[in-house]
Amino acid sequence: MFGQGSRRTAGIAIAAAVAVAAAGCTASSPSGGGGASGGAGNAEKANLTYWYWGESDAPGANNWMKARIADYQKLHPGVKIKLVPQSTDTLIGAFTTAAQTKSGPDIATQWATIPVLSQAWSGAVAPVSDYVPENQRSQWIGTQENTDKGKLYAVPLYVIGVPLAYNKALFAKANITDPPRTFDDLLGDCRKLKAAGVTPIGMGNKDGYFGAWFFSNFGKQNLDSTEELKKAIIGKADITDPKYTGFYEPMHQLKSNGCLNDDIASLTLDQGMAKFGSGQAAMAWGTDGIVNGWAQKLGADKVGITRTPKWGTGKLADVYNTTQSSSAFITSWSQNKKAAAQFLLFLHEPKNLKSWYEATGIFPADKQFQPSSIKDDLGRQMWDLDSSDGAVWLENYLPPSVDGDGNLAAGQVITSGGSVAEAVDTFRKAVEKWRSQNPVEVKNYTAWAAQ
Amino acid sequence: MWPYLFVLPAVVAMGFGFVFPLVSVVRNSLYAGTFYQIQYVGLGNFRALVDDNVFVHSLTNNLRLLLTVPVMTVLALLIAVVLHDGVRAWRVHRSAVFLPYILPAAGIGLAFGALLQFNGALNQALRVLHLGFLAQDWLGSPRLAIWSVGGVVVWQQLGFGVVVFLAALLSLPNEVVEAARVDGASWWQIQTQVQIPQLRSTIEFFVVTEAITVLSWVFTYVYVVTGGGPANSSSVMEFYIWRNGFAQGSVGLANAAAVVVLVLAAVLIVVYLRLRRAPENPGGVL
Amino acid sequence: MWRQVLLIAVTIAALAPLSFMLLTSLKTPQDYAEHPLGLPSSPTLSNYVSALTEVPTLRWAVNSLAVTVVAVLVSSTIAALAAYAVAFGRFRGRSIVLSSAIGFIMVPPVVLLLPMFVVMVNLHLVNRLWSVMLFYSCLLVPFAMFFLVNFFQSVPRELIEASVMDGAGPLRTLRSVVLPLSRPALVTIAVVNAVWAWNELLVALVFLQDESQRTLMAGLTLLQGRYVSNQPLVLSVAVLSIVPVAVFYLFTQRSFVRGLTAGMGK
Repeated sequence: MFGQGSRRTAGIAIAAAVAVAAAGCTASSPSGGGGASGGAGNAEKANLTYWYWGESDAPGANNWMKARIADYQKLHPGVKIKLVPQSTDTLIGAFTTAAQTKSGPDIATQWATIPVLSQAWSGAVAPVSDYVPENQRSQWIGTQENTDKGKLYAVPLYVIGVPLAYNKALFAKANITDPPRTFDDLLGDCRKLKAAGVTPIGMGNKDGYFGAWFFSNFGKQNLDSTEELKKAIIGKADITDPKYTGFYEPMHQLKSNGCLNDDIASLTLDQGMAKFGSGQAAMAWGTDGIVNGWAQKLGADKVGITRTPKWGTGKLADVYNTTQSSSAFITSWSQNKKAAAQFLLFLHEPKNLKSWYEATGIFPADKQFQPSSIKDDLGRQMWDLDSSDGAVWLENYLPPSVDGDGNLAAGQVITSGGSVAEAVDTFRKAVEKWRSQNPVEVKNYTAWAAQ
Repeated sequence: MWPYLFVLPAVVAMGFGFVFPLVSVVRNSLYAGTFYQIQYVGLGNFRALVDDNVFVHSLTNNLRLLLTVPVMTVLALLIAVVLHDGVRAWRVHRSAVFLPYILPAAGIGLAFGALLQFNGALNQALRVLHLGFLAQDWLGSPRLAIWSVGGVVVWQQLGFGVVVFLAALLSLPNEVVEAARVDGASWWQIQTQVQIPQLRSTIEFFVVTEAITVLSWVFTYVYVVTGGGPANSSSVMEFYIWRNGFAQGSVGLANAAAVVVLVLAAVLIVVYLRLRRAPENPGGVL
Repeated sequence: MWRQVLLIAVTIAALAPLSFMLLTSLKTPQDYAEHPLGLPSSPTLSNYVSALTEVPTLRWAVNSLAVTVVAVLVSSTIAALAAYAVAFGRFRGRSIVLSSAIGFIMVPPVVLLLPMFVVMVNLHLVNRLWSVMLFYSCLLVPFAMFFLVNFFQSVPRELIEASVMDGAGPLRTLRSVVLPLSRPALVTIAVVNAVWAWNELLVALVFLQDESQRTLMAGLTLLQGRYVSNQPLVLSVAVLSIVPVAVFYLFTQRSFVRGLTAGMGK
């Protein structure tokens, strides 16, 4: 199901076509911009397996990718690509298991920064910078998220923000005129919504992802930079300090004040968010693509977005949360590294960037994408937010096991009715366990943090 | 000569499938790292296990599940004796009760994962019946999650008990029961003082088998119904091993945990073997 | 009488989750979201259509079938040969072999999994059905062997002796005398082991990560993550996974019961 719907797609397609045609003369030539997969008489033969994840961020992604693969296979008859969509809760585990077997996919997907780099440190990743020269990568956005010691390990495909969406109609019903700007506003709005018989926030935490997103949105707000978090992870600062884990307090307040749906603990993130989409909850966090889907379902005039309410006092409280989210990389055991790189480059060709935006409403991670092709109000708001400076998705800085045993688990403690102290303790134990059980990864992380 | 040849494939199969891994697991538990980079740490992994509250919690969860064994046993006995009495359509009931046992836990686990949700079918049913106060967050509450898993285990394993006890009852001689009935004993007295005592060894077998089951054969239930959550609160040792060994690559911890499972299972298996060799074995058992 | 009530209650408890599965699989996701309990407002088979066309259910089922058939055949053959030797032969280590087999029946696969995984990786069998077939074949031998030894020991010795007197070697005697008499036992171990192999999850999950190589059970768990918002679809695949076993059970109840009441449930 394409996330945009035919009318909107047609409108955007026409607008985009005009914009691209107009900009075509000035855009960089294909071979410089990232379409270097062409070349006459391609006699290469390759069978690629691509473990792909993206649908959860960007509804419509799987179909788009399948279509691009079909296109690519037509242009390169010797190349066959098998797409294997991955599920969110086993994305890391499944790849880690495969990496142990030194066999598996040629192209894989992991979330940016530490999830990618930790696999790189254990030797599972072939740096894409070895196969794609600098001039062909120059238009990619967000490459700093996956760079270590001067090598780029993974390819960014898209960038998302995670705004707080609110239902204007339900807000009106509760006599709320403006979206919450601060956390106190949020609590106040919750009270008004509850009085009007509306579930204030609809999310899911059975799989731990509401908590994880909360960490990324609130957990950074007492930090001045990500360097501070890195220090706490490697043990140079105390993770139980409110600077790092104080955000469990507002999470707990949301839970105890009844701001969250009562079944948040037994619904997965997707299931919980669906409540907003069906008009049963007044607010929810969602990725740009998911929010676009909601706007389609509920009506663009009913859906508004805003930044996560301000709660903390650090510099990062004012930055947004844009990230490339998932990144594609070539595995170290692949027998077809060059072919894999060529395919990834193909995905960055301008026409593919355009079709991606049309299919998912999510911005491609490429400077060649024309913001003038964004025609709807919501899209423009998202663009403004996403392109603001200094954006950080804090979860990307956690080692995977700390994310799983700490971030996800600690959030579940709160949504199942546990205390802030328990949650903080869960997080602390996860960090300590990581430090004692993974000396090699700790060393690599520390070296990376020092750069 | 020929017996050696005949037995050879089985010896190779069991050697490869059991002996070699068992020896390896014990040896590997003394090393830490990933599958490819290991270093000797002696008992370091076991110390780490003790320090890891997730492991300790997983172990105590298996022990909690042991509490379901008496429940299963009593229920199964009760149903078996009632079936044995020859109630109308008893075969239908026996088939129905046994059916869950042979169904794949993965499939039915998904069903339970859906109907145990806070606003899922079970709670809705309770609310409709004005029993809403009984509606709990079966999967989302860290205190309840493991018991929800236990409930699914009981639901499946009950049928096995019923069938085993029923078969045992059917092989008992009728005369003793008849004599007791003639003597004027009540139904309850006949069951508790005459029939059930004769099932003692079958009961022992069932209890030990189920104890081994809940200790080390419940991965599917946890993985499918709760995913070990929330916050690892329903993790069991097998889940811990899978997660640490495969999903997180901490192979040393996983091997050490496997040794712990092995030791516990071995104790029970030895008990089980002793019971096998007991001379009197009524009820179609050996 | 209270006995009837108890049995009816127990039967309902046993069948209710299954009927929930079935009913949900006939609902649309919308219908299920609004009425998780109760009958479908407009029953539809579209989930089953999706289950067979959009989800690799058939592929997975074929994988499961292949693994089950091979593992049962191989393990039964190995077990029959060994049981014959244990029951009728005299050799050093006879009682060790038998005791080991009986002990191994209850060893949980999770303990064996890590080293076995490394072996499979080194043999390049990971993500190939062979890995699971190989491991299952080994795992099924102890129960099959124990059960057959029991049964063979009840075969009248005179028949064996007569066959030997006729000049038949042990293989011939096994094939023409013992096996034909052991039909019920062979059916029992085949049934019990087949159900075990079909239902197994942990080993299949670890050895087969490639989507197209998964068994039905491992594939089912994949669906849990992929179609979170579509319980009816997920449950329709779950129904498809249990129907073969349920049907199999209806035809082989007696064998199954016999297998279990030898005190050896898995």
